[in-house]
Amino acid sequence: MKLYKKAGNTLQILSFPSEDVEKGSYLLIEDLKAGRSMIVQVVDIQFANVPGVMEEFLRELSAEDRVEGEDFDPLDISSHILYVQDTRLLVCKIHGTLENGFLRFDGSWLPSRTHSRVRRLPVKRLVEMVGVGRRLPIQVGETMDGSRLTIDASSLDGKLNIITGKKGTGKSHFSKLLVLGLIDHGATVVVLDLNGEYVNLGFARDGSRNRYHKVIKVLKPRENFKVALSQIDLSIIMRILIHSLGLPETSAREFRRIWRFLEEKRRLTLHDLGEAIKNWNCNVHVRDALYSRYYALLRSELFTDNLAEAVFLERILGGMKRGGAIIIDLSDTSPSDRKIIVEYVLGKIQKALAQWRVRAVFLFAEEAHLYLRETYWDDIITRMRHFGLFTTFITNQPNTIKESIYRQADNIFLFNFVNEHDLEAISRASRADAETVISIVRDLPPHHCLILGEAVKDFPIVVKVRPMDIQTMGHTRLFFEDNIPKVHESPIKVHEAS
Amino acid sequence: MLLIGQLNYATTLKYNFPNIAVASALKELQIPQRFTELSLASMRSAEGRFLQIQPEEVPTPIIEGNNWREEPIPVKISSVSAHLTPLKPIPDETPIIAVDVSSVRLGDTDVGVLCAVRGAIVWSTKRRYGYLRIGPFPFHITEENIREVINLLRFYRFVPSESSSLRLEDVQVRLCNLVERWLQMSVCSSSYGSVILWDGSLTAGTVDNPLTVLRGILEEARNRLNTVLAFSKVTSIRVLGRRITDLVLKYPPPCLFRLDGPPPSTSLRLLGNVYIARLAGGFSAFRLDVDKGVQEEEGIRALQRLLGNDVLYQGYPETLRLAHILSTFTASEVIGIQRFVAQRYDLRIVVRPSVRKTLFGPFGTRFED
Repeated sequence: MKLYKKAGNTLQILSFPSEDVEKGSYLLIEDLKAGRSMIVQVVDIQFANVPGVMEEFLRELSAEDRVEGEDFDPLDISSHILYVQDTRLLVCKIHGTLENGFLRFDGSWLPSRTHSRVRRLPVKRLVEMVGVGRRLPIQVGETMDGSRLTIDASSLDGKLNIITGKKGTGKSHFSKLLVLGLIDHGATVVVLDLNGEYVNLGFARDGSRNRYHKVIKVLKPRENFKVALSQIDLSIIMRILIHSLGLPETSAREFRRIWRFLEEKRRLTLHDLGEAIKNWNCNVHVRDALYSRYYALLRSELFTDNLAEAVFLERILGGMKRGGAIIIDLSDTSPSDRKIIVEYVLGKIQKALAQWRVRAVFLFAEEAHLYLRETYWDDIITRMRHFGLFTTFITNQPNTIKESIYRQADNIFLFNFVNEHDLEAISRASRADAETVISIVRDLPPHHCLILGEAVKDFPIVVKVRPMDIQTMGHTRLFFEDNIPKVHESPIKVHEAS
Repeated sequence: MLLIGQLNYATTLKYNFPNIAVASALKELQIPQRFTELSLASMRSAEGRFLQIQPEEVPTPIIEGNNWREEPIPVKISSVSAHLTPLKPIPDETPIIAVDVSSVRLGDTDVGVLCAVRGAIVWSTKRRYGYLRIGPFPFHITEENIREVINLLRFYRFVPSESSSLRLEDVQVRLCNLVERWLQMSVCSSSYGSVILWDGSLTAGTVDNPLTVLRGILEEARNRLNTVLAFSKVTSIRVLGRRITDLVLKYPPPCLFRLDGPPPSTSLRLLGNVYIARLAGGFSAFRLDVDKGVQEEEGIRALQRLLGNDVLYQGYPETLRLAHILSTFTASEVIGIQRFVAQRYDLRIVVRPSVRKTLFGPFGTRFED
């Protein structure tokens, strides 16, 4: 390999076909005379603009269809010619320089073109140099060199993370891997599980209980997740009514009075709430508005007057001192019920954090745009972060996450995208330059993830996510699943046209 | 005495030609061993040296085989139309065989010149094309080994026996011509009843084209009932002050114009009848030399067979066009050959600064030779 050009923070390196370099690989450019080295990452591989290649191919094209022939080349020079024609141009981004064993994040120094030696830098050595995943390791998978990659659980602590990629690329699997990794290090995790994909985290592939089974609590609204009104603070119920059920301010004022009245009388039950609204001395329109919200709360079946079946979320959170996860199964819930549940859960978490019942909570939110109100996004990444709520958003629609959130994200875990709009959305991430992100993500195979940010010390690394012995896959109901006779799957053979 | 290089090289290719008549004739084609040995031995003298190549913005000179300089032919003609012969294609499956050779200068070492030569034979039978490409053969010509080159050329009668001087700069052209004449001889002596196309003219008597060599090849061709037609892409022949190729464009193709005139000079010999051939529509007419040894009618019939059995693109035979395309070196091939010699003979490549560029800046863009 040979250093060819530099423009901005982009280097171009010439490479021959026999040199094994892939998109995402790291290279070390060692200037032996200067005693310094530069670390660059390959973000694109192009054909070098070898003079005369066009003429060569035109010659082949004009001959290949109708001319058969052979070359008598006793010195085998043709192989060298073909080799030159396949010369590649590696487009690389500068990530830092090494001098006397110290890493500096500056690209102002330029190595010599003539004296420098370019060689591949194994990711294993890179992560050792920069100290990725040393303290609280979460093993995420294998790098392109085949070495194991671990990230540090503390790099997710106090951070905002985004996991995104198109459908079926392995986002949820990776998210589960992080959830279990955090539990291993004693963290408390809450998952807003939109499709019921996380409910079997406590089970191995063969259906047996795994070591996480005891610390994973799955809560399914209407079934094992009901709450009593007496458990709820006025602030939380008001948030539900205003933000989830759209209660106007005038009606909200009346509701506050009703709630305080019932609280004083120690009669905070669904029945008494209904009666109070019915008999409350207020405008008929306000009464109608309160009634409609009251029935919405009833229909959600989240609330109960039976304290024996009520779930005390703060207690569960408080009981997970050695690590655990609460999975809120939002599958089979209507959009409005989903919003009620999320408002309740977030309110309770906030309260538990404020009261130091729990030190911090790692919140994993799948497709949050479907249940998170507009004002919550900024609230989560600014205010609630200081209370100890650290969020990971998981989505296959990257444009549903606001640009400001991408800019503030500390870690981004990217899976494959090919759609230009999606690529444009994720390129807003400030932890890496747009060219790196778009170029690498476009070619990521399934279950391969480009990690950006704090977790990899800002050295973007491609990793093949490791499999886990858990029931990870969300089960999609299929129409043809049982109707098609099973056939032995074999590679598809393509018959050439005669 | 030359030593055979330590490198292994493949034995001569025996190509399985598609047409039985052509195949049986040409498949015994042999590369002269001395030529390959000379290539290998000369390259050994380049080991460990610096190879100065042309700067990338200056194209490397590529020389086609038979690099002759056209001598002025005094044409006396009062009416072009009087010499016009309309042509009628004869589609009789006559094999058409074309030969072309190119050489390229790869650069200079401190003691010599590095060049490479490659040839191509293309044949057409029933409008199906086949080719055999020979080379490239790299040569490192120095003052020390030039004697070996002269001996080789003398062996093939490309240098008069009394001559002992040859400039380094001329060797590339001579080697190129040597390969071209050798391929022409091989084709002429191994095919039968074919139309054989050459690139250039049938002018002999120059240093590059000894009369005896050319005469011998043409005689060999005639003995095997082949007819040699030589096409020149560019000609400066003028009639009544106008370029002859422009003058004939108003006549409907395919047609032929005979040019008569006295021998051009004392040293040069025209071994062919010279024509201007307008074989197809478009704006192209070419000088055509037809072997003088065959009867004129037979020569014209050979041209009609060419019309009937080959595709003509802009009036130029496709077989010859392919031979040219296949033998010419592209820039990437030049880089590939430079890489080969650099690796195998431990040559270190340096770019030679352009004196013209240094002196004249953007105005110094012409070839330097």
